[in-house]
Amino acid sequence: MIDFVRALGDRSLDRLSSLGRASIMWATALWGLPRLSELPLVIRQIYNVGVLSLIIIILSAFSIGAVIALQFYTQLARFGAEDAVGLGLALVLLRELGPVVTGLLFAGRAGSAVTAEIGLMKTTEQLSSMEMMGVDPLRRIVAPRLWAGVISMPLLTAVFNVVAIYGGMVVAVEWLGSDAGSFWSGMQDTVELWNDVGKGMVKSVIFAVVVTWIAVFQGYDMEPTPEGIGLATTRTVVTSSVMILAMDFILTLSMYGEFR
Amino acid sequence: MTEAVAGQTVEAPSEDPLIEIENLVFRRGDRLIFDGLDMVVPTGKITALMGPSGCGKTTLLRIIGGQLKPESGSVRVRGQDVVGLKRADLLELRKDIGMLFQSSALFTDLSVFENVAFPLREHTDLPEDVIRDLVLIKLNAVGLRGARDLMPSQLSGGMARRVALARAIALDPCLLMYDEPFTGQDPISMGVVVSLIKRLNTALGATSLLVSHDIHETAGISDEIFILDAGKVVAGGEPSTLASHESDRVRQFITGSPDGPVPFHYPADDLAFDLLGVGEP
Repeated sequence: MIDFVRALGDRSLDRLSSLGRASIMWATALWGLPRLSELPLVIRQIYNVGVLSLIIIILSAFSIGAVIALQFYTQLARFGAEDAVGLGLALVLLRELGPVVTGLLFAGRAGSAVTAEIGLMKTTEQLSSMEMMGVDPLRRIVAPRLWAGVISMPLLTAVFNVVAIYGGMVVAVEWLGSDAGSFWSGMQDTVELWNDVGKGMVKSVIFAVVVTWIAVFQGYDMEPTPEGIGLATTRTVVTSSVMILAMDFILTLSMYGEFR
Repeated sequence: MTEAVAGQTVEAPSEDPLIEIENLVFRRGDRLIFDGLDMVVPTGKITALMGPSGCGKTTLLRIIGGQLKPESGSVRVRGQDVVGLKRADLLELRKDIGMLFQSSALFTDLSVFENVAFPLREHTDLPEDVIRDLVLIKLNAVGLRGARDLMPSQLSGGMARRVALARAIALDPCLLMYDEPFTGQDPISMGVVVSLIKRLNTALGATSLLVSHDIHETAGISDEIFILDAGKVVAGGEPSTLASHESDRVRQFITGSPDGPVPFHYPADDLAFDLLGVGEP
């Protein structure tokens, strides 16, 4: 029993100290906005985590939009309400699926890459050598990746939403023959700029902060061994995914409130 | 202190020690690495750290560079207490320290040229043509001027070590720390690196701290050698005096003999018992 309590205590202290280290890293890395001379570093990282994620985001968005439109159309057609496909599609994507699926894809594609890259730099002593040259790796390596993640993910979410709605339109209007006017006007009449688009983007920014924080910290704090890199990348994807899904529920409750 | 040499006025090496370590205690988990270690590294000299594997030579370099914090004791570099320095001050101090890592630690996304230019770009406002000249001079010193456009993945282990050496001396530091500089070098580049360490010390007026297992090369260029064992400095002095040191452990290490008080085998049961299950454990 005592051993169990001791193990529980050790584990709790370990988690708490890990959270403390992550917070210190976050605060130190973001102490100041990137200097003008460091802007190219941020832009390069935006390319790595943002532009290189575009393909997977576009392909997934088109498929998801198409599938949702297909399901909505077949169910709504039973009640003669197939004109509401555009409206339903837009609300589901803008409020929930856009930020959540982009976050999950971003964690799998860019988050794991950032963790592995920083982890490999740690394993091969590149971070240590940078420190010994008087260059702070938190400013030179960590901060540009954090900023790039926070900037890229909301933009990727916007791309996801646009492509998914287009995918839904292709299925509902072009393939199944739903009326194009009803598809677009239903969306135009009901979707609100702040309540639907704005709050969805706020979710996306929060997910971006959480995912990049987890990805960068896991790489920076990992055990510098090949096994350590594998464990850290796995932890990035698993922790980010769980956090996104759990936070989405809490954010939806607090943003849209009165469901009962 | 200045003195006239051949019509020129040059700075003579300072008498003050560059590194002073007092009563250093350091642990890794439950394992005690240093147990009250004392050491003084004189300015302008080449000092070597030697000792059995795992005795903490690389760890000591990292403590001197402020990358690891000791449990207690003081480590002063140029009179500054490294242990108590704030992060910003520590980064400032490190601009005067060049370190050659055991794994070279080149930035894999930068070319050879950009690796050597990295500290110059980070810490100086020199124009691009001056940076180019300086980088080529440093690369020429290690014989790799022609490899400037290669990426680290295209270099052999020995070449990577020499590029890392060029990068370590890019800012002409006052302290150079070498972690196993001779490992993986072919005989020709080994000779070059040995003479380069010697020449850099005199040309830059730098102080060198060298960790190595290559007794012959190290003894050839070092002014002083410290032998570390069991968490302390067990011997120190000019290389010639260590071969006749009174301690059997020191003599065994210097001569590289497998028989002596330092066991070659990690503690284990008797071989016959382990293999055949006969005799005493």
